[in-house]
Amino acid sequence: MNDMRILERDVDTKEVKIAARDVQVYYGTNHAIKDVSVDIEDKTVTAFIGPSGCGKSTFLRCINRMNDTIDVCRVTGDIRIDNQDIYDPRVDPVQLRAKVGMVFQKPNPFPKSIYDNVAYGPRIHGLARNKADLDDIVEKSLRRGAIWDEVKDRLNAPGTGLSGGQQQRLCIARAVATEPEVLLMDEPCSALDPIATAQIEELIDELRQSYSVVIVTHSMQQAARVSQKTAFFHLGNLVEYGETGTIFTNPVDPRTESYITGRIG
Amino acid sequence: MQDQHIASAFDRDLEAIQAQIMKMGGLVENAIMEAAISLETRDEERAEAVRSADKAIDNLEELINEEAARVIALRAPIAVDLRLVLSVIKVSANLERIGDYAKNLAKRTSVLSQMAPVDDSAGALRRMAKEVERMLKDALDAYVNRDAELAQDVIDRDTEVDQMYNALFREFLTFMMEDPRNITACMHLHFIAKNIERMGDHVTSIAEQVVYLVTGTIPDEARTKADKTSLPA
Repeated sequence: MNDMRILERDVDTKEVKIAARDVQVYYGTNHAIKDVSVDIEDKTVTAFIGPSGCGKSTFLRCINRMNDTIDVCRVTGDIRIDNQDIYDPRVDPVQLRAKVGMVFQKPNPFPKSIYDNVAYGPRIHGLARNKADLDDIVEKSLRRGAIWDEVKDRLNAPGTGLSGGQQQRLCIARAVATEPEVLLMDEPCSALDPIATAQIEELIDELRQSYSVVIVTHSMQQAARVSQKTAFFHLGNLVEYGETGTIFTNPVDPRTESYITGRIG
Repeated sequence: MQDQHIASAFDRDLEAIQAQIMKMGGLVENAIMEAAISLETRDEERAEAVRSADKAIDNLEELINEEAARVIALRAPIAVDLRLVLSVIKVSANLERIGDYAKNLAKRTSVLSQMAPVDDSAGALRRMAKEVERMLKDALDAYVNRDAELAQDVIDRDTEVDQMYNALFREFLTFMMEDPRNITACMHLHFIAKNIERMGDHVTSIAEQVVYLVTGTIPDEARTKADKTSLPA
């Protein structure tokens, strides 16, 4: 049985999905990300940890160009997904965001029905040929979001009427409906109770069979539980990046050790 | 209480770590019996095999401790999960010590097979080892099945092992007084008897961990002390 467990740790492909080189981010004159280079692997959960304002969310938002929406924000350096430069002027950010899904801290379902919340993405990207196709996608996505059984009898009810944990799972279902290759999660559980958190974490573990998942979290325990790789950010620098078990049992950098053991914030 | 965690990976970690304990237990059971049989049959080759097999037991202990540390660091186990991880660390240490005693038994076998046998002491030692091996098997079964009753039974049975040791202690003393030429062999045989008795103590400690795991409390030392050789005559 142990062999099985070790095997499971090994299935993580070493294939690089997202390669970032010398990334700098400025908000006006504020240098928020300094010289970050990192290789994020496919079919792996990668956690970004670090104190508030360390740049982990900023860096996450570079991966699907969410920072484009902030006027004063300037990104330099090179970020490639499947070896394609995502900041190439020919890349359409809308298409990019279909490929790189995102789940936010607060559940933010559209003020539409549960069905339409999930169907929205596939519709605008033309992923379904007909109604039956779309029904399939919606069911499959809700199942992947581990919420199908709870909502299958009320698909036309408003998404905003669900509980917080259900709304967040609905948002995850919505994010996976467009068949993204990368899923970015910015503190997806910070507004949830422990049970809903555990369900989302279990879901993340399942999602990594097909996606590269990057999660920003303030909970070090959550990073420890869900991820295979952990990156520690501090003051805009990527201090340490490595296998989660190693980071949490024997980190290399003294700043990492101080942070995870609660000595610096 | 529900058996499964919502995080299935946590269950897999805990199962894997317990499977390693069982694997280690199997190796140790085997080492005890092989060592005792090689002593009785004066089979040096078999004894040598026991000595070299101890490395695998030591490696497993290291692996189990690493895994346990990993689970503590990554999963922050509490309540029954915490007791499980703590018990795993202690049980693996107990098993490792038993393995060392078996190895020591095998080492002495190599020396003893060069000397004349002392009565049927090797047979008596084998029977004592057999009893300890049975206790270990039951303790491990109790561990897997979370059976506090069986564990308590194992704890009680250690008294028998202690009594066997007492009897052998007196026997060896008599042999040595009868003929000083027996002293070297009897000293070795006595150490073997003492080591098997210590194995029984470690098995008892494993059984206590089972009780702790199931009930959350360590049983008190209510057991009457049957090893009286340390008391003034």
